Amino acid sequence: MTHAARFHGVSQVFGDFTAVDNIDLDIPDGKLTTLLGPSGCGKTTSLRMLAGYLAPTRGTISIAGVDSTRTPPERRNLGMVFQSYALFPHMSVADNVGFGLKMRRVPAADRARRVTESLELVGLAHLSASKPKKLSGGQQQRVALARAIAIRPKLLLLDEPLSNLDARLRIQMRAEIRRIQAETGLAVVLVTHDQDEALEMSDEMVLMKDGRIQQQGTPQAVFPAPANRFVAEFLGYENFLTDAGGATTTIRPEHLALSVSERTPAAETGAVLPGVVLDVAYRGVDVLVTVASADVSGARVELLADLRAESAPDLTPGADVWVHVPATHLVPLAAD
Amino acid sequence: MRTRHPIAASLAVGGYVVMLVPILFVVVTAFTAGSTLRFPPDGFSLRWFEAALTYEPFTSSLLSSLMLAAISAVLALALGVPVALAVHRGALPGRSVVEGLFLSPLIVPELVVGLALYQQLMVGFGLDNFQTLLLGHTVLMFPYAVRVTGASLALIDPAVEDAARGLGASPGRTFLSVTLPLLRPGLFSAALLSFITSFNNVPLSLLLQSRDFRTLPVVMLDYVQQNYDPIVAAISVLILAGTVLVAVIAERTVGFARVFGGINR
Ligand SMILES: Nc1ncnc2c1ncn2[C@@H]1O[C@H](COP(=O)(O)OP(=O)(O)OP(=O)(O)O)[C@@H](O)[C@H]1O
Ligand SMILES: [Mg+2]
Repeated sequence: MTHAARFHGVSQVFGDFTAVDNIDLDIPDGKLTTLLGPSGCGKTTSLRMLAGYLAPTRGTISIAGVDSTRTPPERRNLGMVFQSYALFPHMSVADNVGFGLKMRRVPAADRARRVTESLELVGLAHLSASKPKKLSGGQQQRVALARAIAIRPKLLLLDEPLSNLDARLRIQMRAEIRRIQAETGLAVVLVTHDQDEALEMSDEMVLMKDGRIQQQGTPQAVFPAPANRFVAEFLGYENFLTDAGGATTTIRPEHLALSVSERTPAAETGAVLPGVVLDVAYRGVDVLVTVASADVSGARVELLADLRAESAPDLTPGADVWVHVPATHLVPLAAD
Repeated sequence: MRTRHPIAASLAVGGYVVMLVPILFVVVTAFTAGSTLRFPPDGFSLRWFEAALTYEPFTSSLLSSLMLAAISAVLALALGVPVALAVHRGALPGRSVVEGLFLSPLIVPELVVGLALYQQLMVGFGLDNFQTLLLGHTVLMFPYAVRVTGASLALIDPAVEDAARGLGASPGRTFLSVTLPLLRPGLFSAALLSFITSFNNVPLSLLLQSRDFRTLPVVMLDYVQQNYDPIVAAISVLILAGTVLVAVIAERTVGFARVFGGINR
């Protein structure tokens, strides 16, 4: 596997605060990699170091195999889309998209052709004469994408590109960005704090917390096997149980089953824990049931079960239930 | 619209009355046909305007004032813009101290500045009084230039400049093709404000005057002390008209709110 970019022992220290703490990270070529993590975990800082806006306090960053740690942004040839889009308000859409080509002294005729190409890729060729202020948020975002792509960058960097869009547009743009990535074959690094977005869009996902990488891999590899409690919680594992040996395991709410009598949904092997219903939330397709229970170590736990509405037993708060914990879906966790 | 407190509203109205009514009196008396500054005026004529425009001390000092204001505004901007950039964009350690330092001429009494310049530059270095005045006015305008430019710089999303760098523009190129065009209304208002402040300045110009270089306000002050005829009202009205014209041009080209909006930030 070739690498579009590589972080080697990179740290970023602001005063006495370490925003990025000694990370090693490989960005694969021709794929979409997401940096995923809660607010303040160092995603933007990492991206800004990769783009050259911020010099690492320690460590090196190489791009396409060349050490670029000290290369200024204008010589890195990366396309960046900022969270605020950062379009040039005094230039037309076409001039925005053509700006990078102009800096590269591409002749006017070529420039016009490539501007049109890039705008066609995002479906905005008809707006090339407009000023950015006249465009909707979604359109501005596409212009920012077109502008970044027009320079044929080595890497496309997107900092929370979808967070300023409304819910519908956000879903639509996920597919759009994937399509553009596939059509251009670019290596893309996308920063997000939305796990659904990361799961849906990533070829490779990198989970971060407090400036450190917690886990990296394909969504198919990471999702069923979170490495530690932080990753598990971030990906929506709600239930944490201590087993007889004292190790922590986790299980997703949709894998728990509830029954009114101990033995009903038998089938699988695993623990069956007694509990009391605390809360029932009906959500149409499914029902969320919170149960107070105790795990095999005897510790009190609150468990969340996500049941299909049509097959869920009829439960009310205060009812006694049995919680079935199938062993096949239990994921062992390493300590954080 | 926000609702105003009745007391605040009447204070505002009172303020406008106090400001505007005397100006109205001056305007009306300038058109008198008589030969004293009196209200109501005796008849209507333009003779005092003609007199003002042909009175050599006024015309030559008007030219001096315009020249002084224009050059010191340009100088103040030339110095102020880099400082504003350093304060707002550079990684200056202790930037608030630096900013405070550059704003300090705003609170040092002008007479003190004038006296210091007089002693140091005219007596000490033998500069002539135009050069000294130019320096003094530039020093006075400088904090305005830093402040107004800084205010409009603060309105520019730094990500826009980052974007230009990422697309291949050097820092210099980024400044010329992105920062400067976005800063234009701010520069325009800084220049205008500097110009007007210099043009209206009395204390410094009074202290640093000489027989061959005096500004219009100083000459007018001198004139009023000896004569009491409507020629002073006429020249005031002409200045007022000029100011209104500048304001109208500012409104038409950049927008009044954008020009003066930066000042109070
Ligand atoms: N220039 C700076 N000076 C001091 N601290 C900074 C600076 N830039 C970022 N930080 C701090 O570093 C930490 C990481 O910031 P960063 O912007 O990388 O977070 P993020 O993961 O992008 O979060 P978000 O999802 O909120 O954008 C934060 O605690 C932030 O306050
Ligand atoms: Mg961020």
